[in-house]
Amino acid sequence: MRITFTCNGRLTEADGVWEGESLLYVLRERVGLPGSKNACEQGECGSCTVYLDGDPVCSCLVAAGQVQGREVRTVEGLADGDELDPVQQAFVEAGAVQCGFCTPGLLVQTHDLLERQAQPSDAEIREALSGNLCRCTGYEKIMDAVRLAAARRAESAERVN
Amino acid sequence: MTAEILGRGRARVEGPAKVTGAAKYAADLHPSGLAYGYLVLATVGRGTVTAVDAEAALASPGVLAVYSPFNPLKLYGGIVHSDQSFLGQNWLPLQDAEVRHHGQIVGLVVADTFEQARRGAALVRVVYDARPPVADFAAALPNAVSPGPINGEPDVLDLLAPGVPSIEAALAAAPVRAGGTYTQPPKNPVPLEPHATVAVWDQAGLTLHLGTQAAMPSALTVAAALGQDPARVRVLSEHVGGGFGGKLYTWAHPLLTAAAAQALGRPVKTVITHEQMFSVTGNRTPVHQTVELGASADGALQAVKHEAVSGLSTSGLIFEQAAHTTSRYLYKAPNIHVAQKVAMLDAPPSTWMRAPGEEPGSFALESAMDELAAKLNLDPVELRLRNYSTVVPGRGVPWSSKHLDECYRLGAARFGWNRRAQRPGSVREGDWLIGYGMASAAYPGNQFPYTMAKVRLRADGGAEVSSATADLGTGMRTVLSSVVAERLGLPGERVAAVLGDSVLPMNYGAFASAGTASTATAARAAASAAVAQLVQVAVQNAASPFHGLDPKDVVYAEGRLTGPGGLDAAFGELLTRIDVSGVEAQDGSAPPPDARNFAVHSFGAHFCEVRVHAWTSEVRLRRFTSVIDAGRIVNERTARSQIAGGLVFGIGQALFEGSVMEPASGRTANANLAEYLIPVNADVPVFDIQFLSHPDTNFNEFGARGIGELGTVGSAAAIANALFNATGRRVRDLPVTVDKLFG
Repeated sequence: MRITFTCNGRLTEADGVWEGESLLYVLRERVGLPGSKNACEQGECGSCTVYLDGDPVCSCLVAAGQVQGREVRTVEGLADGDELDPVQQAFVEAGAVQCGFCTPGLLVQTHDLLERQAQPSDAEIREALSGNLCRCTGYEKIMDAVRLAAARRAESAERVN
Repeated sequence: MTAEILGRGRARVEGPAKVTGAAKYAADLHPSGLAYGYLVLATVGRGTVTAVDAEAALASPGVLAVYSPFNPLKLYGGIVHSDQSFLGQNWLPLQDAEVRHHGQIVGLVVADTFEQARRGAALVRVVYDARPPVADFAAALPNAVSPGPINGEPDVLDLLAPGVPSIEAALAAAPVRAGGTYTQPPKNPVPLEPHATVAVWDQAGLTLHLGTQAAMPSALTVAAALGQDPARVRVLSEHVGGGFGGKLYTWAHPLLTAAAAQALGRPVKTVITHEQMFSVTGNRTPVHQTVELGASADGALQAVKHEAVSGLSTSGLIFEQAAHTTSRYLYKAPNIHVAQKVAMLDAPPSTWMRAPGEEPGSFALESAMDELAAKLNLDPVELRLRNYSTVVPGRGVPWSSKHLDECYRLGAARFGWNRRAQRPGSVREGDWLIGYGMASAAYPGNQFPYTMAKVRLRADGGAEVSSATADLGTGMRTVLSSVVAERLGLPGERVAAVLGDSVLPMNYGAFASAGTASTATAARAAASAAVAQLVQVAVQNAASPFHGLDPKDVVYAEGRLTGPGGLDAAFGELLTRIDVSGVEAQDGSAPPPDARNFAVHSFGAHFCEVRVHAWTSEVRLRRFTSVIDAGRIVNERTARSQIAGGLVFGIGQALFEGSVMEPASGRTANANLAEYLIPVNADVPVFDIQFLSHPDTNFNEFGARGIGELGTVGSAAAIANALFNATGRRVRDLPVTVDKLFG
C-alpha cells in the first residue's frame, strides 16, 4: 500500500508498504530518516521515540498503516535549520551524549517533557525519562542536560515577555 | 589558547551529529538494491539438525534465499584456530549440522524487506535430533576443570610464607576468620545498538559496515573466513552504539551476511534483535567463588584464599578470571592462595564484558573484607589501609604509580564516612533503614603494542589525525583531536579525528581500557613526526622561504614556522604557497613499560549510601562518591562519564542484571529488555566523582592510564556492603533482589 503522512513538516509518501510493518521501519528504511534508532523493538528502551500528532510514541510499536494522514516529528525535525533546539544544544554542552544511540529518543522525550512541564523537579525528570534506557552515561549528564535546557527555555521565555 | 585544551571538559566533537540524527551507525546504511537477512535460531539446547524444510519460506513473498546446514554458504575453517582470529566462538555457522547451544544460528533467510525475511524465517521448519544440554551451572560445578595458566601464572597459585605448608594451615593459625561463598548469574553486555551488518561487494571487494570495537581485526577475521585477500575486505564502523566487550569479537552473522551478499549479488543488511543478541553474541559467564580471610586481632591479614569457578561455553572462548585479577595482588598478606576452574556449559559463547574477572572478583573479595571488618569491629577503610600493598605479593615489584590510600582518605572525607554507624541496622529515617558501604577498585593499566596513528597537516591550516580504532561513546575522537591539537598548538576544532575504518593506521581497537594509553600516545608521536616532516618540506622545497636552511634553525610553534632573519609563516600559508596540499607522517605508541620493573593498575575507592524500606525491602541508592587514581586525565568530561557509566554497570550487577537459563533446555528465559533488567534513570543516585591528578610517567610519556572499566570494579561490593550496614543482612548471591532481603 501507499501511505501518506506529514513528517517534520513535509508531505511524505511511502510506497509498497506492508501495513503491519512499523512506523520505525518506514522512517528508517523507506523515507531515509534513520535518526530514530531501532534497539529493543518492544517499547522498552525508548530509542525510537518520535512525536505522533504531538504525542511521544515508540515508533517501533506503531504500525505503518496507523500513520496515514497523521503528523510525525523525528529527531531530524527538532532543529530549526542549522540552529539546534535548546534541548539538543543542552545535550551537547552538558556531555549527555556518549555512544549516541539512545540520544534521539531521549531528545524527543525531553522535548515533550519540557513542553508539558517547564520546570520539572529532579524526581520528575528521572521518572519521565525512565522509559529511555541508556547504557553509557550513568544518566547524570542527561539530568544536567535537561536542567540546562529547562533553564535556557525559561530565560528565552522571559526575554519574549 | 591551547594550553588548557587537555584536562578540562571539551565537548564531544561528534556531539552535534549525534543530536541531529546525522551520525550514521551500521544499520543506518541503505545502499541501493538492499536485501535483508534474518537469522533462524536453534530451539533445542544440544543435538543435531536432521532436516530443514525451506519450501514454505522460499514460496513466501520476497524471499530470495534460505541458507542452512544443508544449503550452506561456504566459510573457511582455518580462521577458527588462527592466531589472527577475532572470531568470538570456536566454530563457523552452517558448516555442520551440530547444535551446540540453544539459540545458535541454524539458518539465514534473505528477502527484499526485513518483514519478508522475518516471515520467511518463521516458516523455515527445522527438525532436530535433540540431546539434553549441560546448562545448569550449579549442577556442573563438581565437574569443573583446570583452564590452564592465567596471565602466565598457574591456575592454582600459592604464595606462602617460608615454613607455611598450606593456605589451610595459615587460615587455621589466624585468630579471626571471615568469608563465604559468592555467586552471580551470566550477563549480557546489552549495548543499546543491536549488532548490525551491511555487506556491499564491488570490484574492489567487500565493504562491511559493522558495529564493532575492533575494525581491523574484524576485517582480517572476515577475510579469512570468506577466503578473501585481506586487502579486499574493508570494515567501516564510523559510529558504534555501545559495546562493553560484546562488540570486540566478530560473531557468526556478519560472516553469513557477507557471504550471502556475495552469493546473491546484492547488498545485504542483517540487524539482529535484542533477543537474538543473548544467544548469537557473547555473554559474561556465571561465577561461583569462595573467599576465606584470616587476620590477626589488629586486622593484619594473615591469609587470603580465593577460589573461583566460572562457566565456560563449549562454543568458547572467555571465562571470568575472578581470583587472579583481584585477591592475587590487592592486599598485602604473607599467605595468598588463588585458584580458578571452569565449568563447561552448552551455553551461548562466553566473552569479555566490562571489567572481565575484576567485576565478579571484586564483589567477592571486597564483600569478604567487609565481613572481616565487621568481625573485627574495625572500620572497613581502616582495615584496607592496614593491609595496603605497595609491592605485588610474591613478585616484589612496585606499582608504576599508586595512590589508592589517598582515594580511601579523600573519598571518606568527601562522603562523610565518619557518620557511618558501625552497628548494622541501627540507622533509621521513618520507614527507611540507612546504610553506608565502601569498596576498593583496581583495573590493569593496559597498553597495546604496535598502535599506529597518522597526522596530516593540510594547506587549509587544519590537521587530521587518524587511526583504525573506534569510538563507542568513549570520547576517543575528542581525546585524539585534543591531544594532537595540544601538540600542534592549534584550536581543537581545527583538528579532525578519523577512525572506525580498517584501512587506517594499525590499531587493535577500543577495548581493555587501553585506548588512551595506546592510541593517544601514538597520535602525539605522529603529530611530532608530522611537524618534523613539515620542516623537511619547508627547507627542501625550492619555492619555500625556508629553502636551503638547516632544519635545526626552523622552529615550529603554535601552527607557525619561524626561522632566522624574521622568517615566519603559518603552516597552511606555507603549504599553499609551495603548492603542496598537505604533509603527513605516521608514528606509533612507545612500548609498554617492562613488567619486570612495574605493575600498572588504575585504582579507585567507592562509597555508597543506600536506603532499604523496612517493610517492603525496596532498595534505593541515595548517593555514590568515587575517587579515582588513573594518572593524568586527558578530558575530564568524557572521563567522568566513563566512570559514571561504569558505576551504573556495578549497580546493574548488584541489584538487577542476570540471564536466567532454563536448566533443561539451555534457553535464556529473559532474553529481552523487558525482563533482563538494566538500571533506568530513576534507579541511579547522585554521583560525586573525583579524580586524583598524579600523572603516571612510568607508564607512558602522557601519564594517562585507562578508566573505561574501573567504575565497574568494586561498585557492586560497595552496594552490598551498604545493604549489610543498613539491614544486618549479608547477601552473597547477586543480584540482590527484594526476596533476598525480605523477612
